[in-house]
Amino acid sequence: MSARVVVTGFGLVTPLGAGSHEIWERLLAGECGTRRVASFDPESYGVDQGGEVTDFAPGAYFRTLDPNSVGRATQLAVAATRLALDDAALELSTLEPARVGVAMGTTSGEAREVEAFDDHLIDGRRSPAPTEFVRRYPCNLIPELIATELGVTGPNLMVPAACAAGTYAIANALDSLRDGRADVMVAGGADCFSRITYAGFARVGAVAPERCQPFDRGRKGMIPAEGAGVLVLETLDAARHRGARIYAEIAGYGLACDAHHMTAAHPQADGAVRAMSAALAESGMSTDEIGYVSAHGTGTPTNDRLEAMAVRRVFNGRGRSVPISSIKSMIGHTMGAASAIEAAVCSLAVAEDRVPPTIHFEQPDPECDLDCVPNRAREVRVGAAMNNSYAFGGYNASMIFRSCAS
Amino acid sequence: MRLNGNRRRVVITGVGVITPLGDDPVTLHGALCEGHSALHEMENLPDGSLPPTLAGELRWFDPRAYLAKGNLRPLDRTAQLCASAAGLALEASGWDAERIAADEVGLVLGTMFGSMRTISEFDCRAVVDGPSYAKPMHFANTVINAAAGQTAIWHGLRGINATISGGTVSGLQAIAYAVDLIRCGRARALLAGGAEELCFETLYGFHQAGLLGGSAGGGEARPVPLDRGRNGFALGEAAALLMLEDAESALARGARILAEVSGHGAGFDLSRGSDPRQGEEAVAQALAGALADAGSSATGVDAAVLSANGSVGGDRAEALGLERVWNGGSGELPVTAPKSMLGESLGASGALQVVVVIEAMRSGLLPGIHGLAEVEDGLPLRQATPESRPVEIERGLAVANGLAGKSCAVTVETWAS
Repeated sequence: MSARVVVTGFGLVTPLGAGSHEIWERLLAGECGTRRVASFDPESYGVDQGGEVTDFAPGAYFRTLDPNSVGRATQLAVAATRLALDDAALELSTLEPARVGVAMGTTSGEAREVEAFDDHLIDGRRSPAPTEFVRRYPCNLIPELIATELGVTGPNLMVPAACAAGTYAIANALDSLRDGRADVMVAGGADCFSRITYAGFARVGAVAPERCQPFDRGRKGMIPAEGAGVLVLETLDAARHRGARIYAEIAGYGLACDAHHMTAAHPQADGAVRAMSAALAESGMSTDEIGYVSAHGTGTPTNDRLEAMAVRRVFNGRGRSVPISSIKSMIGHTMGAASAIEAAVCSLAVAEDRVPPTIHFEQPDPECDLDCVPNRAREVRVGAAMNNSYAFGGYNASMIFRSCAS
Repeated sequence: MRLNGNRRRVVITGVGVITPLGDDPVTLHGALCEGHSALHEMENLPDGSLPPTLAGELRWFDPRAYLAKGNLRPLDRTAQLCASAAGLALEASGWDAERIAADEVGLVLGTMFGSMRTISEFDCRAVVDGPSYAKPMHFANTVINAAAGQTAIWHGLRGINATISGGTVSGLQAIAYAVDLIRCGRARALLAGGAEELCFETLYGFHQAGLLGGSAGGGEARPVPLDRGRNGFALGEAAALLMLEDAESALARGARILAEVSGHGAGFDLSRGSDPRQGEEAVAQALAGALADAGSSATGVDAAVLSANGSVGGDRAEALGLERVWNGGSGELPVTAPKSMLGESLGASGALQVVVVIEAMRSGLLPGIHGLAEVEDGLPLRQATPESRPVEIERGLAVANGLAGKSCAVTVETWAS
């Protein structure tokens, strides 16, 4: 019997600010963090809304590294890591450095670095040469620099699995802890706001003109955003031994690939169904025991319709009644960070029996026949929560968080 | 003796390679043993952008030869390399289309950049011509996991699909990640390895950072691993994928077993290359971890295929890290460094090294280190030689040492049930 693994801390850096419980409360309050893009002029993109992290002072979170020596995604990730460790009240100095590991995911890594590199190519290489480019851009730097900042030498992984990357990273951390390769793992995802991502989604008409309205009949798309989410994971025994506050246990996960299309989901949601089913099977749970589902819920017409179909296929009759919400309605789509932030949401929902709303909801869509917790948070017995995430490449990732109280 | 007697064992049932020295493991190994170097002056660089630069360019690659049926347009070069190597590995291991459709074969791809060319071109176009001129098909490929996703679509691989980015350690880390998934029962069959394209953008980036042979101090490039006159590496381009399977299910389907992946380990250098002793310690941590995982002592390893690529600090840290674990005995260990002929193919290199281990095991011949004149003073690897020589390998080792921070080691051994 392998060790049980629990979530004991979380840190979030989002368009609603940086923090732990204070960000969770803002999500429960249904606040919206998306607004007009400020980090570049959005004029030529045809749309202008984004979810940027504003008023962010990385210096507050760095004790070892110079925050200016690292890219923005790493800055966001280090901040989320420090917040998570503080929330977990975990004193790293009491631990063997080789027994603490880092697993992170991303969609585009340090995209701002490649943008600066491209600016140099565009100006005919007349600007100063990008001597630090290969030391600042590669995405593996995100977990490596977190490890350096913390002074830990355990398992270190970057798994760039696009918009399901946070779940991939947390899944790897779960397996590392169960296999005894580490005693503590910090795991999550990070992405910075990028003109590349913005241009891409704008070009394919996926960006909503005003707001993100998942599952609404009038939904017009997603809103690109940036952020970081990090969880502190440890074994149940270790957490109990140190008297840690435990939010939830990770009961299982499933990963599956559609092998169908790079950007469009499988028409019968094949991979999504297999990922959810695998997570349920590993958890030894039935859908009746799932009290909340954190949707991928990007707000694009196709995603939400197919996601609703997938949930109906797996949950059968309960597909219409299980609360399922998308916090992307509030903070936009934070790319590789999204599923990690949503993993924190699932953990908190389990711990507190409160679930966040899907805001901007006005008209039900018969093709999304779900209880999307419209506009107002809800107090409800959760017990166990499922986090669903989907990504470019035909990726499907589902993870189940359950109460440790029982 | 094995530490975990009951755990699932992971075997290699097929290999697919696309390299400048050939598209099958036997040809590649033969070329390496004969000292055929793929390093030549890079062609078609933008005028005035770079001085003459050595690189292991893949000049002959025609994706149509490997990906005959279907629309190649959505696949950028990294995806073409990956999908081609995947096709070869599937064929070599006996996974035909019918078998793939009936099961859930997965893919774990190591890559440092994905396609830097795709990302940079997409961005430049959107900036110069305006966002409405950016190409939607290219946008899908700007994500770092694009090649793995495209390969899954091409071959119908519905199992776990993941990309691992760990710089030059990516390929071995992908193999280690896949081994763990199979051991814990999450997958039965996973293609694992790496792919990396060679493009102007990465070449220019590494040159500006002063990491390529001759790019820091000028002068002639000497990307010769472990050599006292080395002055940086040359980049290469390749893809290499292994079909990794749970031993029991491989046997049940009657697969031919090439070798077993018996252990892996990882290390991390907190000084990120600035303190040589910590760099050595990270390599030693990875080696010791792999040996412990395989239930082997250092003397139980018959040969090592090194990460050494001609970088001054990296090669030294690797050699001295070995010496720490071999406890003064690394001078007796037969070693080689295929990057002397293939260049540093970043995400692909670790998987290529495992292929060299497998082929040396099969043929009894270990390639030499091309161009090696004299091993740097103080590096105890006396068995590093420029010429190939006979070896008998039951257990071999592949090592990957990152540009700054990460190390990984994987042990491969002859299969005995």
